[in-house]
Parts: sequence; C-alpha cells; structure tokens
Amino acid sequence: MGANEYDAVIIGAGVAGLAAASFLAEQNLKVALITRGEPTACLSTGAVDVCSKGDRPLSAIKKLPPEHPFHLVAEETLRVSLDKFQQIMKAAGLPYVGSIEKNRFILTALGTFKTSCLVPATMEASPQDASESLHVVTFKGLKDFYPGYIISRRKNAKCSIYDAGISSTMSLAAHFEERPFFEKFLLWLEKQNIYQDKIAFPAVLGLESAAEIVNTLAVLTGKPVFEIPTLPPSMPGRRLFNALKKNLRDKGGDIYWSWPVTGIETTDTVIETVTSFSEGHATSISGKAFILATGSFIGGGLTATREGIRENIFHLPVHIPGPHETWFDDNYFSMNHGIGRVGIAADAAMHPLGTSWKNIFVCGSILAETQILKNGCGHGLALATALAAAKSCAEYLAR
Amino acid sequence: MNYEHCIRCTICVENCPVFRVNPLFPGPKQAGPDAQRFRSDKERIEDDWLLLCSQCKRCEMACPCGVEPAHIILREQQRYGKEHPQTTAHLLFANNYYLSALGSLTAPLANVIASSKTGKKIFSKLGISTHIPFPRFSFRTLRNERMKQSRTAKKAAFFHGCFINFYRPDIGRKIIRLLSALNVDVVLPPQWCCGLPALGNGNLTLAKHFAQKNAASLSNYIDAGYDIVYSCTSCGLCLLNDYPGLLEIPQAKKLAENCYDLHEYLLKLIEEGYAQPQFREWPRRVAYHIPCHLRALKIGYPAAKLMSLIPGLECEILDDTCCGLSGSYGFKKSNEVTAVQLGQRAVSLIRKTGAKDIVADCGSCRMQLGGLSGMKALDPAEILCESLGIATPK
Amino acid sequence: MIKTDVIIIGGGATGCGIARDLALRGIPHCLIEKGDFAAGATGACHGLLHSGGRYVVTDPVAARECYEENLILRKIGQKCVEQTGGLFVRLPGDSRRFREVFLRGCEEVGIPAESISASKAMELVPQLNPQIEEAIKVPDCSIDPFRLCMLNIRTSELNGGIIFTRHKVTEIVKAHGRCVGVKAIDQTTGETREIHANVIINASGAWANAVASLAGCDVPMTLVKGSLTITNHRLTNMVINRLRHPSDGDIIVPNEAVCLAGTTSIPIVDPDKMNTEYQEVETIISEAGRMIPHFNHTRIIRAFSGVRPLLKSTKMDSHEISRGFQIIDHQNGLYSILGGKLTTFRLMAEKMVDRIMAFFNLKRPCETAEKPLDGQEELSGYPLSKRLEDLKDIVCECELVTRQQVEKIIRQTGTKNVGDIQHRTRLGMGPCQGGFCTFRALGIMNDMNVISPEQSMDILHGFLQRRYKGIRQVLWGDQLREEQLVEYIYLGVLAMEKPNGRE
Repeated sequence: MGANEYDAVIIGAGVAGLAAASFLAEQNLKVALITRGEPTACLSTGAVDVCSKGDRPLSAIKKLPPEHPFHLVAEETLRVSLDKFQQIMKAAGLPYVGSIEKNRFILTALGTFKTSCLVPATMEASPQDASESLHVVTFKGLKDFYPGYIISRRKNAKCSIYDAGISSTMSLAAHFEERPFFEKFLLWLEKQNIYQDKIAFPAVLGLESAAEIVNTLAVLTGKPVFEIPTLPPSMPGRRLFNALKKNLRDKGGDIYWSWPVTGIETTDTVIETVTSFSEGHATSISGKAFILATGSFIGGGLTATREGIRENIFHLPVHIPGPHETWFDDNYFSMNHGIGRVGIAADAAMHPLGTSWKNIFVCGSILAETQILKNGCGHGLALATALAAAKSCAEYLAR
Repeated sequence: MNYEHCIRCTICVENCPVFRVNPLFPGPKQAGPDAQRFRSDKERIEDDWLLLCSQCKRCEMACPCGVEPAHIILREQQRYGKEHPQTTAHLLFANNYYLSALGSLTAPLANVIASSKTGKKIFSKLGISTHIPFPRFSFRTLRNERMKQSRTAKKAAFFHGCFINFYRPDIGRKIIRLLSALNVDVVLPPQWCCGLPALGNGNLTLAKHFAQKNAASLSNYIDAGYDIVYSCTSCGLCLLNDYPGLLEIPQAKKLAENCYDLHEYLLKLIEEGYAQPQFREWPRRVAYHIPCHLRALKIGYPAAKLMSLIPGLECEILDDTCCGLSGSYGFKKSNEVTAVQLGQRAVSLIRKTGAKDIVADCGSCRMQLGGLSGMKALDPAEILCESLGIATPK
Repeated sequence: MIKTDVIIIGGGATGCGIARDLALRGIPHCLIEKGDFAAGATGACHGLLHSGGRYVVTDPVAARECYEENLILRKIGQKCVEQTGGLFVRLPGDSRRFREVFLRGCEEVGIPAESISASKAMELVPQLNPQIEEAIKVPDCSIDPFRLCMLNIRTSELNGGIIFTRHKVTEIVKAHGRCVGVKAIDQTTGETREIHANVIINASGAWANAVASLAGCDVPMTLVKGSLTITNHRLTNMVINRLRHPSDGDIIVPNEAVCLAGTTSIPIVDPDKMNTEYQEVETIISEAGRMIPHFNHTRIIRAFSGVRPLLKSTKMDSHEISRGFQIIDHQNGLYSILGGKLTTFRLMAEKMVDRIMAFFNLKRPCETAEKPLDGQEELSGYPLSKRLEDLKDIVCECELVTRQQVEKIIRQTGTKNVGDIQHRTRLGMGPCQGGFCTFRALGIMNDMNVISPEQSMDILHGFLQRRYKGIRQVLWGDQLREEQLVEYIYLGVLAMEKPNGRE
C-alpha cells in the first residue's frame, strides 16, 4: 500500500474517532485518523457518562426511547468498549474508576452533583452527598473557579488560596508537572491547617502526571484529595485527549492534524479518497473503509444554516425529527429541544441509513436521536458506538 | 472575517506554547478573534503583547472552527511594526539575510567574535539572547557550489533558504547529492531570503521585496519545467502560506502548486516508481521532533514515512511541543525565558524516549534542541544519505 | 415615607432626561423604575441618534427636531456619542423621485446632506453592496442607550436626586382627588416604599396606560413591536439607511463592537408578553443583506424586541404614525409624557420640565443643552480606549471587562442582579452572550458574599432562560455551535439541571 493508502480512514479526533481508530489499529490494520482541529472532548470534564438518568446506567439505557442509538449496540459491546477504555487510560497513567453497574457523582464547580459512570481517578474521592466537610484549595487569580459556589452550599467548608504567580488552568497544570513548582506548593500546603474530611482542588493538578500528583497530595495530607472539573480550558479533558492520541500513535496509527476534508472521490458503491487542500496542493488519503466521527454541531460534523441542516463531508442524509419550529423549545431547561435529536441515523452495523456507499460507518455524537445532555450519554455512547463501528468496519475489510 | 467563527472554546489557548509559560501573553484567542472586534484602522495599535506571539501556528492547527488566530495576529504585528519604533533586535533579525551574508563573508572572524565573551556581551546589549550558541557562519556558502548538469526526466530547483546557505551548506550539499542519487537534476535558482524573518520582525515591506524577487525567479524555473523543492519547513510555509496571503504575490498559486517539501518530494518520487532507493540498515534510536511549521504545512510527516523504510531505525515521533526558538523569536532577549522554558521541556521529552540523536527538518529546531541538550541534531536528509551510503566530500 | 417635589415613573431615556433637567434646575425629585434603566423601548432600540434624514419626507417637523437635538447631543456628549456619520443608500430599483424629495427635504429642514458616488461610498464602507447606485451622506451618530440613561442619572445623583430601580409602582396615592404620591414594591426585598410629591410624571413608555390607570386616567397609545438583530462584529463603521420610504429592516447601526440591524413593525397589545419571531429575523437579514451582502452569511449573536410607545393613531401603516411627542396634563397632579424617540429625549424632557416649572411658578431656564453630560470621563468606549491595565483579570473576554470593573459596580450599586452588571459594563454582550463570564460574575458575587447559594442558582437559571430567549431565533451556523458549547458547559460540566444531585 502506498504511503497515503490505508485500510481504514477515521475522520474526527474525538473520543469516538480516536477509540474507533485504536480498536482497528489493534487488529493490525493500517489506520489513519484525520481531523480538522482538536475535539470537543478537550472541553469536557473527562468523565465518561454512559446514561445518567438514575442510579443504574444499564437499566436507564433500557428505558431510552427505541430510536436511541444505544439500542443499536449490544450490551456486551458497551461493556467491552468501557473495559478497553479503562485499560488504555490505565496504561497512560491516568486510570479511571467506576463501573457500568452503578453511576456515581462528581462535585461540580457550582457545587452541584454531576452524574457519571467512569471518572478519572483524580475525581474518585469526590463526595457523593452534602455530608462530608471539605477544604477547597484554589489559586490566586484563577478566574474559572470560585470556591464560594461550593462553600456556600455546604456546611463546614473552608477555602485556602495559593499564590502561584500564574492564574490560568493551562499554565497551572503545566507548572504542576515541574518538580520545583510542585515542591514549593507542597511546603505551602503542609502549613495549611486542614482538619476537614476531604480536600478539593480545581482540576489543574498536572497533565500526564495528574493521578500521581493527586496520590502524592493524599499521602502527604493523609486525607482524600479530589479534583473539580472547571470551565474550558479543561485539563481533565485535555488529559483524556492526550492519552487517546498517544495510544493511537503507539498502536501504529497515523494522525493527520489540521486536515479538513475539502473533497471526496467515490464510485456509486464505495468511497475511495478524501482530499484536503493543504498549503499549496491538495493531498489525498485513500482508504478501503471510512468511519465518520465528526461530531454534532459543536464538533463541526453537522452544520445548520437557515436553509437546513447538512452533514459536511459526505453529505449523508440528516435525520431531522421535525420542522424548524420544533427544534427549540420555549423553556431552555426542558432538555427536549428537537435539535438534540438531529443527526445521522444508522443501522446495527453502524452503517448510515439512506446511502448507497458500502464502506462507510458512523459513530459518536453525529448519530441521530442521542439527546446527549438529556440522557447524559456523551463519552459512553461514543465508546460503545466506536467499538461497534470498528467491528463492522473490520468485518467489511475482511470480506 | 474568519474571526466571526470563534466560539470561544479556548482550544487554541490550550495549544499555545507561549501562553503556557509566559503570563504576559494573553493567548491566541485574546490576541486574535477577541481583540479583532475592537481594532480599528483609525486607531494606533498599542497591544505590545502581540509581539509575544511566535507564529508557531499551533493555534490554527487546533482550532475546530477555522478561525486562524495566528494570521490575525501576524497582520496586526505588521501594523505594530509600522506604527512603533523597532527594537534593535527586531531590526537586525528582519535583515537577517544581509547580516548573514556579511557574517559568512567574514566567516572565520565573525565566528570567533560571536562565540567570545565580548561578543556575547555585545549580543546581550543588542537584545540578542545567548542561551544557545549563535550558529556558525560558513565562509563557503551553498551558492558557491558548482552544479553538474545531466539530462534527466525530473528537474528540481532547490530553494535552500538562508540557514543552509550561510550556516550549514554541508547539509545543502547532502540534499543535492540525495536528489541526484534519485535521478533528479538539481539547480540553484537565484533566490533571496524567503521573507519570513522580515515578516516575523514587523517589516512587511522588506518581506514583500524578497517575496517578489523570489516569485519572479522561481516562476521562470517552473515555466521551464522545474519542480521547486525546499528543505526548510519555515521557508516552505512562508512560500505557500504568506506569499498568497499577507505578501500578496500574484504568482503565489503557481508557486504553491509546484513547490514541494524535500521529503514530500522524495516520497512522491518513490510512490510514482520514478526512484527505487535501496535503504541500507542504519540501527539507531532517534527522536523526531516535528517542527511546528511542518505541521502547519499539512502534508503529514513524509520524512517519518521515509525513515520507516530504513531497516533498524527506530523513530519516535514527538509533535506535542514547540522547541521555543521559532526562528529569530527565541534569539531575542525579550523572549529568552520563554524560549528556554519551552526548549527545556522539549528536551526532557526527547530524553524520555531514550533516543541517541534528535532529528528535525528545521534548522531552528536543531539549533535549539541540540544547543540545549548537547545531543546531536540531524536533518532527516542526513539520515537518508547515511542509509543510502551517499558520501559528501569535505 | 419619602417626601419630594416631583416623582418620575419610568427610567428610560425620557425619565432619565427629566431627572437630569430637574436636577440642573434645582428641583428635588425621585425616579422610580420597575426594572433597570432603559428597560423598555430605550434599551431595545438601535442607539441611533438620527440626523433627521429618516423623517425628512414623512415628518419634516420631527426631522428638524432630530437634527437640532443631534447637534446638541454631539456637543454635550462628546465622549460618549460616536460620530459615525450615516449613509442613505439607493439600491437599483429604488425610487429616484424619492431621492429628489429626500434631498430637497434635507435642504429645507437644514440637514447637511451630501450625495456621493457609489465608489466613494464603497471606500467609506467597504462591505456595502457594490451594486448601489449612490449614497447620501448625513451626520447620523450612535450611542449606547443604556449609557445615555446612566449619564443623565449621574447628574441627578450628583444633585441629590433619589433613584429607585427594580421598584414597581403598584398604587398611586390620592388625597382629595389629587395624586399625591405612589407606593412601590422593591422587587428584590418585597418591601413597599411610599413616596409623596407635588407632581407625578408618568414617563413609563409602553406602560404609560397601565400606570395612568392607577390614577383612574386614560392614555391613548398604539403599541408597536420592533425587533433588532445584533451581529458578531462591526460590518460597518457608519450608520447605513435605505433611501426609500421608511420600512422594515432598513437601518444598520454600529454600536460598540457590534452592529444592530432592524427593525420590524408589528402592532401588539401587551408589552410584557412579546417574543421575537423567526420571520422577523428573516426579514431583517434579507433587507440588511441588500445593503451589506455579508449580512446574509454573517453570524448573528442575538435578536430581541422592544415596544414603541406611539401616540394612538388610526393610520394603518405604523411607520406613518408621528414620532412626535405629547404631554398630557391629567389635571390631578399627574402628567403623562408619551411618544418621541431616543434622539429627542432631551427636548421632551425640557418641555416637560418647563411645564413643571410653570406649575411651581418658578422661572429657571433649562441648561441641559449647554452643560456636558456628567460622568463621561469614566467611560470606556469603542474602539480601543478600552485599554486594559491588567490583562490577567479579564472576566468577560468577548467585551474585555475586568474583575475590578465588576467589583466596582457590585459595590457601588449593591446589586444582586447580573443584568445590572451586564448593562453597566457590557459583560455578556459579546458573541458568547455571557456563556463564560456570567459564571465568573456570579462567582465574584459569591466571593464577595453578596448573594446566597439559592440566589445564585436562581439567578443563573433566570439568566440562562433570558439569554436563551435572545438567541433562540438566531440559532444556526456559528451561533448554534456556540450555543451547544454553552449548553455543554452549564448543563454538562456544571450539571445545572439538577440543583442537588439527589432530587
């Protein structure tokens, strides 16, 4: 195969895309992942929501409306995808805790509780209710984290402020990776008289070493330590993305950055090539099969104009559940906005409906009827559908 | 009106190497799309922090919406350069081409002075950083090379750039032999500085001047059936991106269609079956530091693909960091802290791979990483030559 | 109980202008506003200070008034009025006869109007439709209407005026058939205040009839909804008007870092129950797009509606209803002042206060046209005078608002309302419409112990709902992407839908 020819070409570097590419690369297939930019996953809390309605994700999934894409995926596939994910993150030094049998809470920056399923180990000690007392440590000038929100909602919570000389989540996390900075911080931390049950930090405790750093802090203080996810730039999201990136590369996948697809070459039945107009001349990447994981509106996979909604690369038919008037409810918090159901409809083989191309599969938030916020099913759905798509893709390639 | 698309996701900010270490730089989002809504032609530009942007383009590579903050900032940097008096360092680096020519003419002496204690003091006073040794001028530049002509199907006009010409003509000679070994006829067209140092130091006029001359010269060669090959990824990005953009060169499209990165070109020759190089074993573990501007060229990493053809060579790709030098950026005293912090981080990641040598297609990256680590920093072309047994006479 | 000489009901441009005039003439007064300043038509308008050109054909008297006031406002508001200039553009197909009448009208009224070629117009405003036939340059200006109110109120504050915002008048107290005072409920605390005065001025705009009826009086009005869209950034640095009979969507005004385009004209009944309809947004975009083509593709960040309180008329086309104003003496101590437009607010206030002077039998001349507006020095404006001393502490990155500014407003006004901070600093008025900065502003209020946790959750809920109302009709393209991001943040990262996990 030529340098730009691949077995599978995955478009989109979010959780779904990186996972699908990884699952295929594991099977010794030649895999390329192309992406326009960095994904929405970078902005997320890093936690994997499977189905956040209630205590038990598996029962909650069963109660989802029949059109929901979770029903396309066997439960076993979901389980395996989450297992594989946990293995990848463990190997990256950023283990995730939790189980598909039961949801758990993460304390948010507003002092509310977010329901999730698998959470980074740095959030393992997050309180599950209002009973524990907390000591919140923050950093002077960090404008995306206000302990006041949390302290005012809990009994017996206090706050300390460390002047690190820098005040953005990104630079704090980068500095925590440097020994001298960390040690200076530890000296300061020891002097704070912390008597509360647990210690909370905004999620800036390093990047690739975050889990290690949290452990060190817990050992030093003798108390459980946990992180609270912040507004973007979100470090847990960035850690997740970095780990998945490295994992794909280690498995031999090629990643093409800043590669917006500007053209495609196809026959009636197969897609052959995707093209990007790079600086100068167009470069093409050919594949025997393609997986589309370009995300919803925020990811850039779908675009809404005043005239309608389209899928941007292959112009696949977009499932739109109702006329324009139904896309947005009157009540912001109704969680029932029709727009949350827009996307690409697929069959159980993760093959998009309404197209004659045989070698294309879809996964992730570009799917129709996901209603991600209402159902709390972001990264979990991405992982499950990515594995399903990878399986179908591998089967197709084997034929 | 690209900044219209900005949804404030801050992904660009996460990727900005300068923002990461320098609290004085507000980040590409603030410097680009945020501030652009307020900038007006009627008012003088006062944002001196604009100059802290090193133009590594990592923000643009990461933006999911196509905003191009670096371009916005570059344009405003030119305005700043026009409206404010330049520092000495800016003036000197903008005219890097002329100064390098002078340096190489007086090479042995110039090098002695540059590396002496007095020389370093002078550099400091001029606002030039000495955190790594200043590159050594070569008296015998690449242009002094006499070329052998033969009739082959493929002809390449080599755009070598200032770094190879004035500092490392030996690499240039290797590249010429490499291409010749693959049956490509190589010439050195009349050429000037690509213009990037001028652009990067706020002198749009000088940059345009160089660009116009280069475009005219290279255009002639294209018409005569030559492919243009560049080996410095920053020169390449300037030719392909700034010539049609800020520098408004009319032949830009023609240039872009016929310009190739050296490794992109070599790979193309192999793919087309034109050349079948026999790569011999070269067992080594190398850390391939991807230059920011290579990423920005969006051609993937062709040198990595070529090196994967060499038996025994283990090549670990590192594309997550900027080395911090960014051409003349890191050589300015005002950016020294940034350059050193970023450079040291890049070096520590390299050390973690356990690699023996560093590889990078950009002279600037090699200077920085080699200078800070004491390790050998090679151009991929050098490795290809080793593997193909291409010797260069001294 | 508070005793003063004059009560003003309504904190729009008219009310604030009256407060300033009374202050300068030394009359103690109290202004009561049920929301924040400019809560009605004032806050929902273009912010255009007309040259008068727009009325020259239909209402030359109004045009003349506008032009004179335009000159006065430019003089007294040197630092806050942006002298953008304006163009009336004639598109292919637009009536040439109208153009003649227009130019003649300008000449007769005395408005400097210069006819310029299409290419010259394109030089001035590069984004103009290249197919325009010609343009007529007039001295339009623009101002942030909220700022205008604030500056007027500043004079009142400096001279002992009593100001109550977020106080709703629930009763007009009468004694022997005369209106002697009002009762108003503080919307934040629920307390009732009673204020007595010799004269009550009803300057409540679209609510004039509702207020007058508290005194058993009637005020004839036609309420007409007008909607506007706001763009992500400035597409033009000059006001652009359409050279034709006034109609929908034919004005584009640059204001701060955005453009406002509109408007529409839909008669309504209840000023508290109105929404911006998608159809209105389409109309505005298509009309604006004819003057500036990029409008058809540009990012719109918000669409909102205001109510024009017009004098009641039987004319079918509400564009034809006179924008002139009227002062009604209800003969019982209550006066109502109705109609008018932003540009002539000062004149309206002058006439009203002249009447009050006559009532009190005092001879004090009006100084509002001579004295510069107080408080202008503290303003940061567009474009770049918003220079920041401290880049690190920016709370609203879209509009470059710093933490110090936010804290100052919180301390100065004691407000618990994020909207108050937004109006005074422009926090949240940019492309993300408060997506990030509202969390921060509320966080700051939490830190300063100004609000309780229940309050902050309520405020956040209320803010998100209000914000949604403003963007709902423009959710496509980039703004929809923006919206999904903000949704992911508030409903995802911050898990806002359930205030307490175990609900």
